Order: sequence, then C-alpha cells, then structure tokens
Amino acid sequence: MQGKNGLLNAPTGSGKTYALWLPIVLDYIKKNPDYKEKHKPGLKAIWITPLRALSVEIKQSAERVVNDLGTQMTVGIRSGDTSASERAKQKGKMPDLLVTTPESLQLLLASKGYEKTFKDCSAIVIDEWHELLGTKRGVQTELALSRLKKIAPNMRIWGISATIGNLQQAQEVLLGIDSEAYRNSVLIKAVINKKINVISIIPDKMETYPWRGHMGLHLVDEVAKIIKASRTTLLFTNVRSACEIWFQRLLEKYPEFAGEMAMHHGSINRETRLWVEQAIRDEELKVVVCTSSLDLGVDFAPVETIIQVGGPKGVARFLQRAGRSGHQPGKESTIYFLATHSIELIEASALKKAVENTVVEDRVPYLNSWDVLVQYLNTLAVSDGFFPDEIYEEVKGTFCYQAMTRENWNWILNFIVNGSQSLQAYDEYKKVEIEENGLFKINSRMIAMHHRMQIGTIVSDATLNVKFLGGGFIGTIEEWFISKLNPGDTFTFGGKKLELYRIKNMQVLVRKADPTKKSRLVSWMGGRMALSAQMSELLRQELYRANTDDLSPELKALQPMFQRQRKESIVPSADEFLIETFKTREGFHAIFYPFEGRFVHEALASLLAYRISLLSPISFSLAYNDYGFELLSDQEINMQEVLDNNLFSTDYVHSDLMKSLNATEMARRKFLDIAVIAGLVFTGMPGKMVKTKHLQSGSQLLFEVFRDYEPENLLFQQAYRETFDHQLEEGRLLLALERIANQEIVWKQCKKPTPFSFPIITDRLREKLSSETLAERIKKMTASYMK
Amino acid sequence: MIYNLQMTITIKINNNTFILHPSGSLFWEDRKALLISDVHLGKVSHFRKHGVAIPNNAVSKNFTRLTEVVDYFDPENVVFLGDLFHSSKNSEWNLFVEWSDCCVAEIILIAGNHDIIANENYDKIDVKVFKELEIDGFLLTHHPTKREGLFNFSGHIHPGVSLRGFGGQNIKLPCFFQKENQMILPAFGEFTGKYIMIPEGNDLVYAVTKEEVILIEKRQAER
Repeated sequence: MQGKNGLLNAPTGSGKTYALWLPIVLDYIKKNPDYKEKHKPGLKAIWITPLRALSVEIKQSAERVVNDLGTQMTVGIRSGDTSASERAKQKGKMPDLLVTTPESLQLLLASKGYEKTFKDCSAIVIDEWHELLGTKRGVQTELALSRLKKIAPNMRIWGISATIGNLQQAQEVLLGIDSEAYRNSVLIKAVINKKINVISIIPDKMETYPWRGHMGLHLVDEVAKIIKASRTTLLFTNVRSACEIWFQRLLEKYPEFAGEMAMHHGSINRETRLWVEQAIRDEELKVVVCTSSLDLGVDFAPVETIIQVGGPKGVARFLQRAGRSGHQPGKESTIYFLATHSIELIEASALKKAVENTVVEDRVPYLNSWDVLVQYLNTLAVSDGFFPDEIYEEVKGTFCYQAMTRENWNWILNFIVNGSQSLQAYDEYKKVEIEENGLFKINSRMIAMHHRMQIGTIVSDATLNVKFLGGGFIGTIEEWFISKLNPGDTFTFGGKKLELYRIKNMQVLVRKADPTKKSRLVSWMGGRMALSAQMSELLRQELYRANTDDLSPELKALQPMFQRQRKESIVPSADEFLIETFKTREGFHAIFYPFEGRFVHEALASLLAYRISLLSPISFSLAYNDYGFELLSDQEINMQEVLDNNLFSTDYVHSDLMKSLNATEMARRKFLDIAVIAGLVFTGMPGKMVKTKHLQSGSQLLFEVFRDYEPENLLFQQAYRETFDHQLEEGRLLLALERIANQEIVWKQCKKPTPFSFPIITDRLREKLSSETLAERIKKMTASYMK
Repeated sequence: MIYNLQMTITIKINNNTFILHPSGSLFWEDRKALLISDVHLGKVSHFRKHGVAIPNNAVSKNFTRLTEVVDYFDPENVVFLGDLFHSSKNSEWNLFVEWSDCCVAEIILIAGNHDIIANENYDKIDVKVFKELEIDGFLLTHHPTKREGLFNFSGHIHPGVSLRGFGGQNIKLPCFFQKENQMILPAFGEFTGKYIMIPEGNDLVYAVTKEEVILIEKRQAER
C-alpha cells in the first residue's frame, strides 16, 4: 500500500483478501511497536463488501492475519444481520477492523458523533467495486468516501475489482475526479491467465428442445450425469424462482442427492446460507443450486464444476461464474452452459468466442443521482448536522456529481428543507431545519427514525419475512408475490412446501403444507437482465454464420430449428433486417429482429409503436427479449405504410422517445426507485411493525401526482434521464437504427408463429402504448366475471 | 373541467333516479342529494408534515373538484360517505372550513374509519355527523352493509375494475360497483388508490375515466 491509494484488479479467489488485510495490520504494528503488550483502541480500517453474505469470510481472513502477527486487534461485522445489542456494543467500542456494507456505512454516518469514530481510520477497502460501480449503492459509497476523506485525512482508499472494460474509470470514480487521492494512486492489474473451458450441454435429440424459455428441465438427466462425475458442482440459475424449481426437480428425480444437495439464494435466511457456504468448503455437498448470491467473494476450493442454466447475458458475469471452479492456482475452470430454449444455444457459441477473446463489458457509473444525494444530506442532517458550503465542495469532488451546478445544489437544499421550491402559507412541511448558525439539522426524532429505517432500502422492493407459525425464520419474499395469495394457498419456498396462514405486521406466517397439494412457485421481480452491447454483437455474428458452412457444434445442433424457421420465414444474414407478421387468436402480431439485447429492444419497441400510433389511432401491447421485439394489436398494422414512412429513421429519436415514454410504464418504474431512495415512499423496515400506515401510498399514485403537479421536480426529471441512460441506452439505440438503415428489410407475412418469434410472443410481461382515447379503448374491452 | 350530460349515466333504483358522475360522485335526483365518498382530505399535508415531500399543489385539486361537481348538480345536500379526512386535523382543515362556508348545500358526514377529527369541530361549521342514515328505504353507510329490505350506498373499498381486450389490451380503472341492493362508490379523492374487484353474477360495473362513466360488458372468466 505504501501510503498510496489504488485499485487492485484481481479475479475472485486469488487470495486478495489476505493480501490487503496484511499491510493494514503491518501498518498498525509499525506505528505501535509495543503492539504485543498494549492495544490502542479505536477503528483503524474498514472493509466494504456489497454482499453481507461475504462478511463472515472476510472477517475470518482478517482474524487470521491479526492472530498470525500476534496483535490484540479485534475484528467486527456491522451489517443488516448484526443484532441491535451488538450494534450498541460497537457504538461504545468500535472494533479495530470493521467489515460492513455500503448501507451500514451510511447508517454509521447517521449516528451522532460519527466524526470521532472515523478520525483515526487509516484505511478503507472497497471490495468487488465492479459490482457497486454501475449502481446507486456505488454512488452511496462515493458520497461516504467524500466525507471520510475529510474527517479521516490519513485514510488510504483501496478498491478491488474484477476485470471490467473501464478499469481506469472505475479507479477515478472510486477516488474522486481530479482529486488529491486520485493523483496519489495506482492501478494494479493481476495477470493470471486461467484457462476456462466452456462446454454446451446438447441433448442427443434436438427435436425435443423447446422453442420458448423454460427452465431447461428437460436436460435434468444430463445435468445429473455431470454432477455425479464431479466433486462439487455449483448450478447457477438467473432468477430465484428457477433456482427453486431446479432444486425440487433434481431431488424428485434423483433422491440419492438428498443430504448432499443444497440451495442458496438471496432470499434464504442467513443461517442457512452460512451453513451452505461452510458445507461447500467442508466438501459435504455434491451440488448447490444457486443464483448470483454465490457469484462473489467466498473461495470455495472444492468446487470443480459450474453449470450455468440460461444465458448469463454478459461476458463478465459468465467469466466470474466460471472462475468459481478450479479455485486453486493453476487449475482449469470448467463451465457447462445449459440453454433453456433453442435460440439460447446461439448464445452459448457466442460466449465461447467471448471467452477466447476476453471481451468484457464496461460498468457505466451513474451521474447526478439526486435521489442518493437527498438521502445522503438527510443522513448528515440526522447525525450532527451539516454546513452546506463545506459539504458542497466534497460532493462536487465526486465523480457522480462533477457536473452539479449551484442551482441544482440550491434546489436540493430547498427540497430537503421546504419540501418544494416555493414557500406556501398553510404548508406544514417538516424535515431538515436550518439553525441559527446555518447548520442544517433534522431535530424531529420520528423523522430521524424514519430516515434511518429508509437507508437500507436502496436496493429492493418491499419484502416480508416468512416465518413458521411456531417461530423459525425461513427467508424473505417480495410483497407483490404474497399479495396474490390467499390464506390456505400453498407455495414452494426454500425447497419447502408451505401453506399461507396469514400476513400480519409485515410477516408472512406459514405452516408446512400437505406435500401432495399443488403449489405455486415463488417468483421475484428482480434479476431480469439484458444482453450487453458486446454480447449482442457476438450473438449477431454467430447467428449470421447460420447461413454459412462454418458451423459451431451448437449451430449444427440447431439445424432442425433453423429448418422450421426457414419454412415460414428466413434466418437473416448480416445485410438483412427481418420483420414477421401473423395473426393468432390473441391479435395481430408484428415481430422485429434487431438482435440488440432486451434494453435496446424496449426502446425500439416504444419508439416504433409511438411513431405508428401517430399514423392512426391504435393500441399496442409490447413485448421484447434479447433477440427482438413484438408489437401486438387488435388491428392489423399497415406494414407497407411503416416502411414507406421510414419509421426507423434516426431523426427526432430523442423527442419521439420522450413522448413514447409518457405513454408507457418505464419512467414510472424508475421513478419508484428514485422515490424510495429519496424518502418519498415510506416502506418501513422489513420485519418491523409499521405504525405508519397513514404514510404509505401506492407508487402509481405518486408518479401521477408528481406528473400532474410538479413535473419540473429534479427527482421526477431524473426518472426520465435514467430511463434514457441506463434503461434504454439511447446511444446504443442510435447505433442500432443506423445499422438497420443499411440493411435490406425483409418482411415475411407468415401463416403461424415461427421458432424465432415464439419466445417473444409468449412473454407475459408487457408494456402498453396507445393513441386511442381511453373511452374508445374501454368500449372494446370487457371485465372478467366470476362463475 | 366543464362536464356535459353525455358523460354521466342515469340509472333507476327502487323507482328513484340516480346520476353517476365521472368525478366518482352520485346524484340522487329525487332527494337532491349528492353522495361523495372517500375524499381523504389532508392526506398530502399529512405526508408533508412527516417529511414526505408530496407536491403541495395537489392539495387544492380536491377542493376545485368538489366545487365543480357541486356547481354542476346544485344539490340541497352534500353527503360524504366517510373518510372525508385522512387523519388528524392539519392545515387542510382550514381549507375545508373555507370551502364549507361557500357551499350553499347542507353538508352531512357519515363517519368512516379514517374520520378521527372530533365531532365538535364539525358542529362548529354546521356539518352534521352520523354513523349511518336511513332514508326512503335507502341506507347510507361508510362500510358496505347488508340489511334486510334496504338498498345500501357506501364507500370505503375504493373499488376498481380490471378490463381486458383483444390484442393483449388491459387497463385498470376506478368504478361504481353495483351488487344486489348495494352500490359502492369509487374514491373521490385525488391521490387515493383503488382495490380491484372481481364482479360475479348480476353485478354491474360502471368504470370512471376523467371524462366519462361507462357501463362495462361482462365476459365469463376462462377456465
């Protein structure tokens, strides 16, 4: 470390945890030669980890260093899992080395006298920085660091990041743009050339491969073979619900795995997760079915094999997962790819290319996240209060807020003090108060408490704890799922069949269900990922090869599917843009295939739907996946008119998109996240009884009230900006339109759905866009009556 | 907003005439009484008082809409079917006092679960508060209530309906929900949510858009 700051680029499991704790402890020894007899109390170093599941491992590694060197240093964890009594104890006496999360660090800044706690801290390590970088938790971290730099002037800052495309930028974001800390920093790249084998699981009979996204369960026998042949296997699924299903199915078909098999995902309770992690290390498990919850950190030496179910959507993620196996230096990593439907096999062969050429994505950092800034300033106001001029300089020095103007800043200050930009006579708004000496402070104990509860909610939807009637915590579940169930309904969760007894005080009370009863699988909203730009490019190149003789094993296996596709339509080549239209009993379908990834398709679909809706009144239902998008309507789209009017034009893209956004739900969803972070939605704390029902409002309502009464609100505007930058990726959209402009449009009028279209038209998660009046639409609709 | 007659729907119940209005209010022609439910006044101010910055301008909207609909029907009585105020007294109370001063009609409140403001406050401004009212075989309550021989008007639920159409179309709207001997009014208030009801048998659903009231056609549930 040598008095410098820096970013360490190292793959997971290369002994980096030990490598960074060691100099921290050595530094203490150097400064305190009598370290063996005397112990100097106080916080000396902080380790930030994005996943609290990793904190135990990190603590153990720190303890090893501390004990090996014979110091009397203490190590502690502070996260959402830390008990209230433990936290109180820490408040009195901080451990020397603290392992924590971005949220918990923020909470520390919300406690009185925090400056004293941190003043002698000499180092802070931000682990898995690449995971935080493109998120609001990353912004939260940037802000915390801007404060810590000031109150702990001797603190060195180190980030650890897996390989991403923009490492240099990652370093800049971490340390602050053009900052003293950045100038005194280094970027260290670990050169470890680990060999990664990618193998697609291809069944003998391709005819049985489903056309649409399933769970890949038809390959359960092939998977079992792989599991049996290996010491320990991690089976990764993209979403938690798939994780539950795979666990169930493996156990049903191969009961001999019982006892040697476990499940691990973010909603399962901590004790179980820790037990699973320990059991992997102790080589007690043959297979663990898991989600991204096992992506990071923890070293699992015994893991020999990885199976990835469904497209990983990004090269970096795939490499990360591959890296979970063959952990000892010099060992090869093997990852099996299991495509859940036929087109996904193309992804497999594209991934192989990506691994060969080590193509990795950028993580795009957020800019001007006003919601996080509002939260942060409230945090400072809750603890000791703040003087705006002092904090302005610190905030302005971060990457996220480098372009913030004085006007922006004043707007934010006004917002937290007055709740608006103009004072009104009868208003009783109360949050931050300005004291006589100019200190901004929150004095209301209740508002302070609300704010502290809110800090942890930056990431997720409202969640409820699932508990057995007789006690015993099972895990957490999202509110929207449980709200669809009635008492007596059965659902599968954590591998158990449970019957809903009732919901009370944010707790879902359940009992064991009759095992023969039909149950629903818990689903989670999060985790829908889109193909990265790099991945889409590789995917297109791979697909275009389908019309050549240069076929990978995957493309060869897909021949029957390609034949079906060619019967009704075509497999497009590089110079062709395919459009298919057909009618089913659902309506008139028009499918477009840009192969640009889900996010770009989302943008293209609303753009095109909007432009078509200008030609004549029409209502659309939109669907998209990584390969293309669909416009479904109750009337036939005049495709000739679409082509004649050049509706794929790059002219006025921005303003057209803006208008189409008003018609769809995208900006609404973004606004909800923003509103939660900025404290406009009171969610309460998961598991804590909410006495504030009067303060809860629907997210939909909130969006509408801002749209109708305060559209100029910076937080409201931010929803649109973020939709453009992070959701729609406007830059990529323009490139896609330019590419389409140079392609020949091939419009196929099909008699029935094609294999390419199938996964799209069966997607039920849809956007709406309409240029008909509400009354016109209602008159064509009906309400479903119960029998 | 200026309303015209085509936007409303007129219905007969037990030989009395009622007009359903897009604002979510219902006019009882025979008694010249305007029924309004679940306005939830004071909600925005309540949020703001607790540090949740809902736009301030939203406060005045409820009062503008109340004035518009009272001007339209010119009733002798305005009957609030409960949840007139969202919580305890706050600055919006003063706005309500001003509004009630200007209102020529007699104001009646059937108290709902949210109405925790003490009755003497209402006494002072000549608003009569009842638990329920029975008039000519009609029962006015906050909670939907079944009682032998009476037709019930109520609120509380904030009824909404989910509509579906060809081509993957669907939409959710607030509605008047009519069951046998019962009519549940939608919430009048801005910034109030809705609860989606599934109709059965001979239930009638009148969806409410900002401009129109529309009787919804039924479709038997699949399966």
